[in-house]
Amino acid sequence: MEKEINALIVDDEHLAREIVKKYLEKYQNINIIGECSNGFDAVKEITEKKPDLVFLDIQMPKLNGFEMLELLDEQPAIIFTTAFDNYAIKAFEVNAVDYLLKPFSEERFNEALNRVVERTQQKNINKENVDKLIEHHDQQPELLERVVVKDGSKISIIPVETLKWLEAQDDYVRIHSEGGRFMKKKTMKFFEDHLNPNMFIRIHRSSIININSIKQMELYEKDSYRVILKDDTKLPVSKTGLQRLKEIL
Amino acid sequence: MSAHPILKNTKNLILYLIVWFGIIASYQAVLTFGIRLELKYALADNLISNILLLGLGLSFWYSAKYISFENNSVIKIFLSHIFGGIFISVLWLVISYYLINSLVTIDEVYSEFFLNTLPWKFLIGVLYYFLVTAFYYLVIYYSSYQERIIKEAELKNLVTQAELKSLKFQINPHFIFNSLNSMSALTVINPDKARSMILKLADFLRYTLASNERQTTNLSEELKNIRLYLEIEKIRFEDKFEFAEDIENECLRIKVPSMILQPLFENAIKHAVYEALEKVTLNISARIKNGFMEIRVENNFDGNVSGKSGTGIGLTNIKNRLELIYNSKNLIDIRKEKNIFAVSLYIPIN
Repeated sequence: MEKEINALIVDDEHLAREIVKKYLEKYQNINIIGECSNGFDAVKEITEKKPDLVFLDIQMPKLNGFEMLELLDEQPAIIFTTAFDNYAIKAFEVNAVDYLLKPFSEERFNEALNRVVERTQQKNINKENVDKLIEHHDQQPELLERVVVKDGSKISIIPVETLKWLEAQDDYVRIHSEGGRFMKKKTMKFFEDHLNPNMFIRIHRSSIININSIKQMELYEKDSYRVILKDDTKLPVSKTGLQRLKEIL
Repeated sequence: MSAHPILKNTKNLILYLIVWFGIIASYQAVLTFGIRLELKYALADNLISNILLLGLGLSFWYSAKYISFENNSVIKIFLSHIFGGIFISVLWLVISYYLINSLVTIDEVYSEFFLNTLPWKFLIGVLYYFLVTAFYYLVIYYSSYQERIIKEAELKNLVTQAELKSLKFQINPHFIFNSLNSMSALTVINPDKARSMILKLADFLRYTLASNERQTTNLSEELKNIRLYLEIEKIRFEDKFEFAEDIENECLRIKVPSMILQPLFENAIKHAVYEALEKVTLNISARIKNGFMEIRVENNFDGNVSGKSGTGIGLTNIKNRLELIYNSKNLIDIRKEKNIFAVSLYIPIN
């Protein structure tokens, strides 16, 4: 007896959802528990209904597929369906089951579903290999244009220009932006790599600042400086941080 | 450049002969009425020496041509021509003397006259050589200068063509693939609609490909294509947007750069419709104002959508393309207000 699988279809085009539904018709064990046309709804649906499998488009209004995944605490099996072929590497980074390029044939679709079944049987076996693959794929990280955060049921989209500074806080990063303070489960290293290096500088082990929010710099103790931000926050600058600041200013 | 500037057409040759006729006539007058030389000697002296100069003058072209400024040092050119001038002048006087002597037997009076004027004649011969050679150099310089200007203009034109080609609208592959995906779904759900969408996409692609060949087209043709494009997008996005046109009748036949509207609508679809949860209205209007046709494309957008402002390459390309085609700046005006985004193009009407 095959296991029942609950699936959610997320795509902003109704015809794109229709074709997935059509291809799923002959799978008796797959229940379509919902359809969403944007990332906001998808986050809500996934959190509430906890599907086993999500068909996910990448380019969608408000939140794209990747941003949406960042907001989930528990990630279901993901099959990306997209017309963009340039996200394949990123798709494997987020541990997607498969990556279907639109338009896709029924055979290709069936193949993807077979992988879902395989995946449920041998969970996470391949993860290490994938990680290694990604490590070797030494590419320039894509710079962030915005950061999405979830606070309870509220989702906020923060454009990077409005970020003032970031602060390390255990497993989280506290984001200080013009729109308020937010917590994001990421590392400082991630932000250091993915924020525009001409605008954001890691001045200390525990802080990254937007150079546009600097008010002044002052000598604090002998040989050590600190930065005063426009909102009067005072932040210590490490030796390497000072080096980086000098380079860019 | 290699053709002889005087011999290459009869007009120049006649002009040259007229000048020489003037010189011969004046010289004859001086000899007859000023110096009162016997007519026989005066005529012989005048005709023989001047016709010789006339002929020699034509031959100097070759010395100017073969001792070119590009391939020789200044000193070499200078020395060759000093030597050439002296040589030609001496040659001229010797030949003149013998010819005159063989024509009319020289008597003492003419012999004295010839000897007295010899230094002057020698000097005139050298100067004549310099003058005519300088004239030929001028001709060579001028014609090569003109050639360079023509070549530069041609080159510039070529660069402009290449630039225009690169600025032209490139079809967005995601649009094609997403449309194909919609059609794939429609073949199962609604085959009639699938067929109609295929036909629309085919017409759209045909127009786009044809626009690679031509630079301008009527506004009405452009509008027809935009309608096709929007109808296809409407099948994909159902009721997510509306389209309204407000075009003055006289505008329809005005020539505009081909595929100039497409990137504007693609931008609107990409930034407003893709990102919006509510309905978006796209407007296009065209009217004639102060010798320009103003085409305005406007859409509302959700002001809360942040980031993703796009690279602006599409708009920059339009700006550069208009600048190249109409040789004029400021033909595009971009306005972003609270939740309205509007682009105006100003097409000069001639």
